[in-house]
Amino acid sequence: MAFWQTLGSVLLTIFIAFVIGMFYMGIRRKVIARIQNRYGPPVYQNFLDVVKLWSKSSNINHGIMQHFAPLWMIAMAISTLLFVPIVYNSDFWLNFSHKVDLILILYLMVFGPLGLALGAGQTGNPNSAIGVTRGLSQLVGFEIPWVIALITVMIQYKTTSLTELVSYQQIHHTWIALEQPFAFLASLLVIPAMFRYSPYDIVGAPSELASGPMSEFGGKYLGLLMSSGSIFMFAKLALIVDIFLGGASSWLGMIVKTLALYLIPVMWSAINPRYRTEQAIWSLWRWPLILSLLGLIIATV
Amino acid sequence: MNAIMILLLLFFVGGFLVYFAYKLHKIIGDILIAIIGLASAYLFFKLNIEQTLTWNLAGFKFGLGFTGFSWIFGLLLAILSPLALIYSIPYMKGKERLGWFYMLFLFVIGSMYGILMAQDWISLFIFWEIMTWSSYLIVVYSRSKPLDKVGLKYIFFSAIGAYALLSAIVIIQANIKSFYIADLIKLFALLPHSTQLLIGILLVIGFGVKAAVMPLHIWAPDSYSNAPMSFTSIFSGAMSKMGIYGLILVLISMYYNHGIGSFGIWMAWLGAITAVLATFYAIVQDDAKKLLAWSSVAQLGYIVAGIGIGTKLAIFAAIFLALIHGLFKGTLFMAVGAIERQVGTTKFSELRALIRKMPFTFVSALISVIALAGVPPLAGFVGKWMLYESMIISHKVWVVILIFLSSTAAFLYSYRFLFGLFLGQEEKEFKNVKEAPALMVIPMLLMALVLVLLGTLPGYIFRPIAKSMEALGYTDITYQMSVLTNSWENIVDLSYVSLILGVVFIVFLIVITLVNYKNTRYVTTKDIHTAGEPPSDNDNYHFVLDFFRPFQRAIAPVFKYSVSQIYSVIGRGIEDFLQFVRRFYTGNAQTYALYVIILLSILFFIAKYIF
Repeated sequence: MAFWQTLGSVLLTIFIAFVIGMFYMGIRRKVIARIQNRYGPPVYQNFLDVVKLWSKSSNINHGIMQHFAPLWMIAMAISTLLFVPIVYNSDFWLNFSHKVDLILILYLMVFGPLGLALGAGQTGNPNSAIGVTRGLSQLVGFEIPWVIALITVMIQYKTTSLTELVSYQQIHHTWIALEQPFAFLASLLVIPAMFRYSPYDIVGAPSELASGPMSEFGGKYLGLLMSSGSIFMFAKLALIVDIFLGGASSWLGMIVKTLALYLIPVMWSAINPRYRTEQAIWSLWRWPLILSLLGLIIATV
Repeated sequence: MNAIMILLLLFFVGGFLVYFAYKLHKIIGDILIAIIGLASAYLFFKLNIEQTLTWNLAGFKFGLGFTGFSWIFGLLLAILSPLALIYSIPYMKGKERLGWFYMLFLFVIGSMYGILMAQDWISLFIFWEIMTWSSYLIVVYSRSKPLDKVGLKYIFFSAIGAYALLSAIVIIQANIKSFYIADLIKLFALLPHSTQLLIGILLVIGFGVKAAVMPLHIWAPDSYSNAPMSFTSIFSGAMSKMGIYGLILVLISMYYNHGIGSFGIWMAWLGAITAVLATFYAIVQDDAKKLLAWSSVAQLGYIVAGIGIGTKLAIFAAIFLALIHGLFKGTLFMAVGAIERQVGTTKFSELRALIRKMPFTFVSALISVIALAGVPPLAGFVGKWMLYESMIISHKVWVVILIFLSSTAAFLYSYRFLFGLFLGQEEKEFKNVKEAPALMVIPMLLMALVLVLLGTLPGYIFRPIAKSMEALGYTDITYQMSVLTNSWENIVDLSYVSLILGVVFIVFLIVITLVNYKNTRYVTTKDIHTAGEPPSDNDNYHFVLDFFRPFQRAIAPVFKYSVSQIYSVIGRGIEDFLQFVRRFYTGNAQTYALYVIILLSILFFIAKYIF
């Protein structure tokens, strides 16, 4: 009985996250279009894209690592989603969030991109490899302020468990964002880099790298990458909401909070050009780093 | 005869036997090497920990025998050394002076067992020197061009370490009148504070050289990359751990047990800075061997940082990382050795796309690199997790930030390693490259398999580590088969992580393979999207030069200065000073007579007016 219940909740969670993520991507396209005074595609456009990609009549790959590449991504996206608490105090939606802690999730989140990078490397397309080197460099850039912000939170609340952070905020009716404003601000500045939106879109870099690591992926491979991207996006947003914005006691609360959070990098990206790689790293090591260090010093002193 | 004696004789007598066996015939030597390797592992596992061998000489007690703590390092040696010896047989095929090489190789392994079994400082020092000299001779074995410099660097720093160790031993003997390591640990607290500090610093220098702690590390990258790869897998995998063994012995048994903690935080800082800088250097290397060598220095930095933190979880993490590092770095050096043997070079700028030619080497390298990068669900993550948690819980925030920076930057060279050797656009030149022989591939795959197993079920190795920590004086160490726990009671259940990742991966593997199976085809790496300019047969669009140029630009200030620059400034200073001193030696007897008179008159004035 318990097994079937868990399986049901897991599958439902994956499905809902997929749908939400897809709609968020659609909303992003719409918002950016409206800011640029265009009409934009319909909100459900991404569903059509995924269906189209899965039903392409021919698919190519350059070898086994490329064949595996979307699989690392989907495995990472789904497991991250299942390890992040989504609905507070609900036995049904618990999934596996009580089984792991924040450090594992941090490391799990690079599992997929590294696998994708290997697949992109095997294609032999120079644009893919260049995109990967940029992505890894940027990872070093944003990981530092982001990790410092998380260490601040962990030390302040003496836990590395996400569920405990959420229950602390729910019980005390507070947000860690208010108690640790510097850590929150730093992570807010880091989010565009984490989502690779402008000005941090150096990895895909349309019109420069021909979509970078993705350039040799098409058909079902790209379809699976898009699906995992939408799940992973929701998981990342839920993670930040859990840490800083108090989690949520229902799906609706989670959707409202994640959407509000998501619109910040989206709107920020609509009005920004693109950094060069070293500029991106330096910009991440300036204000985000200073703010996160400030937060850490306040928390430890 | 005593089993300890047999284990040592196996290597030291076996070394000479192998030397003559290779004089007779290569095959006899090869068989002898394999037998010695396997026999040593068998003997080690038959050996009882309580078994000791003691004797008295000139009123002092000497002893050999494993302690609970040194056994865990012996375990690493017993796993790694037979595999490295077996790997070495095809790897060294056709090279000259094989008998000489294998004799030294066996001496190094034997002396490492000796160091771990030494219960007194004199035996430890003797084995330490045998290890140093044998490995020095292997480093200069290949006789390539800049080798005199490489060998000189190695032996110079080893000599510094040896003198520091010897001085420490003399001071210890003068103070506690015993050479026994256990006696020192017992009586350490009774020594005056300045002596404690002096002994501590000297021993840390002595062991720190082998553990490649900054600023004593600069011999390591060159020596690691110049020795034959079959030896480097032991050199970096096991020999550097002798330094770690010594450091844990010094810091934990002497300092922490007696509550002088500030020494440790300095070690932690040293380790963290070593880790960061060595990682940055690893990123910019063009030679796979050099990359791995710098990466070894960085990984040893993590371990030293863990020792410096010194809490229960940190020591546990340090020992675990030491074992895991031995496994994955051993595998990686072996993989590079396989490529060197099959293709003839290890430079990224000359190699590309070997994945289809050497699939088994690729798989073992891939697994080891994932373990190195610390990505779940492999064993590297377990060590990283414990290290981070121990640092966060003990509020060593600055150290943990440095370690995080270093291990995030480690992704860069991890990717460079895999991409540069195995991925990218295929090249006609490598069309006829074959997979390495089975005797080379099997040891690599075996070690990779252990890394996979320990990623989900680290409990198998936790048990001996917990035992060894109890021997160090820690009490009440809890561990579970596949659940990690910190002292804030937060858990990571590794079985769930592996299970979910595995299930999702396999389900979607089936889906993506079956959907549209008929119309999925393989195309070559020349058949790519290049905006209307497909590469011809003779073009190669492989991206390899200045791989991380933007990142290098971002961290440019770090590369402005290096530790070896400081050493060369010191070296030049000494040279200038000696040049200056030489001016006094004119060769003229009258000048010397003048010096004598001047000296006497100065002494006279001092005697008359000052006293």
